[in-house]
Amino acid sequence: MPVKWLLHWQPNPGATLSSQILTEACACVESVGGARAGRWKTTLTFYRPMARDGASAPESSRDFLGVQLHDHPGKYYSILRAHRILLESDSSIQAVMEKLQSYKARVVLNFEGFQYQLGDFQIRVGKCVPSQSENLRGIMMEVEYLPLSSIEKSRQLMEEFVEIWQETVSKKSLPGHFLHIESNFTDYGLHDYYTSQHTAVQYATCMQQLIAAVRN
Amino acid sequence: MECVVQGIIETQHVEALEILLQGLCGVPKEHLRIHELCLKSGPNLGVVPSEVRLLCDLAQPTPSWTVRHVGGAMRGAGAEQISVLVRTVVESKVSKNVLRFFYALGYKLDHELLKIGFSFNFHRGAPITVTVTSANKMPKLHATEEAVPVTPGIQLVEITAPAAADNYNDVVSAVSSFCEYLAPLLHLSKPGVSTGIVPTASAAAAALLSNSGNKTS
Repeated sequence: MPVKWLLHWQPNPGATLSSQILTEACACVESVGGARAGRWKTTLTFYRPMARDGASAPESSRDFLGVQLHDHPGKYYSILRAHRILLESDSSIQAVMEKLQSYKARVVLNFEGFQYQLGDFQIRVGKCVPSQSENLRGIMMEVEYLPLSSIEKSRQLMEEFVEIWQETVSKKSLPGHFLHIESNFTDYGLHDYYTSQHTAVQYATCMQQLIAAVRN
Repeated sequence: MECVVQGIIETQHVEALEILLQGLCGVPKEHLRIHELCLKSGPNLGVVPSEVRLLCDLAQPTPSWTVRHVGGAMRGAGAEQISVLVRTVVESKVSKNVLRFFYALGYKLDHELLKIGFSFNFHRGAPITVTVTSANKMPKLHATEEAVPVTPGIQLVEITAPAAADNYNDVVSAVSSFCEYLAPLLHLSKPGVSTGIVPTASAAAAALLSNSGNKTS
């Protein structure tokens, strides 16, 4: 499948996050010729082990993330970061986990926004909000280059795109910038040919970055 | 949900059962070779102790994995009266690292089996699956090539059909009626209710084999 890079919004130190940044980012995509092509939503769920009454909570190294990608709705990706395990399954695994009553979905985060077509690129700009509230937790984007599936072969082109994109956004004088953090795909046994599993790993990385950005 | 009944048959009568099933279903049999790993939650993990089964289909050119949770049986006066067990079952196809995943979550291997046999999948009032398998145990961990029968000379017959809350009565009827066709060879009942082998099996098997011989000659 086409190679994809995830970028997250890194606010300047002390700057606050606002939905205005999302509006401006969308305006930027449109200003360089992006044509709006619908909405998208990816869901990320934090699972934590449940302990029996009176027992101490099992180790948090067993926390895992569940990712449901907008472009693979029938699939579910479970990521155990501490163990570098990525399990691909049908989305019915969520029902299995519910029946087992050993792990509980603690927080559900929705990544949602607009999708744009820009030549050979597909761009998605979105906000990250918890399912139970409207509190903005972050802003991110997906940059997908449709003609290529090799991560290495597309690297230079993607870097150039990100550079141009960062320049475009900088003209708006917003309090921060978009940043791409490389995920270590080989840790999860993933190769150069891009798959939806790579996207799931990128969401886990992006999530960490968003949490870190909010803490700072 | 699924409706399920089970029974046992002596291996010497399996050929006759296969002929009967072939005639009733009109579809070719499928070979089964399933490595089943039963995992249980470790101490303190979960609100209640839990159990999950990982099934590896070894009959495929590339083995495929499924995780399966079998829930409790439907209860109540109505459920007592029917001869078929209705229970919740949830399954999901998973990648091959599923065992590592569940170990990391805190599950432990309780036991493993290799089920070898065949199945028939067909529609008769409801989509029905009949499996005939011998259960085999491994002398060493995961050594499926060295598996030996748990109950030599006896095989398990299981009939299952997917069901939903609004149609399980119809599915129960479909499964019950199908069981009647197999009655001369084996008795089928709810899992856990042992009914043993049927006395008419030898005679019925002999009749089936001789009829089959006449047809093919």
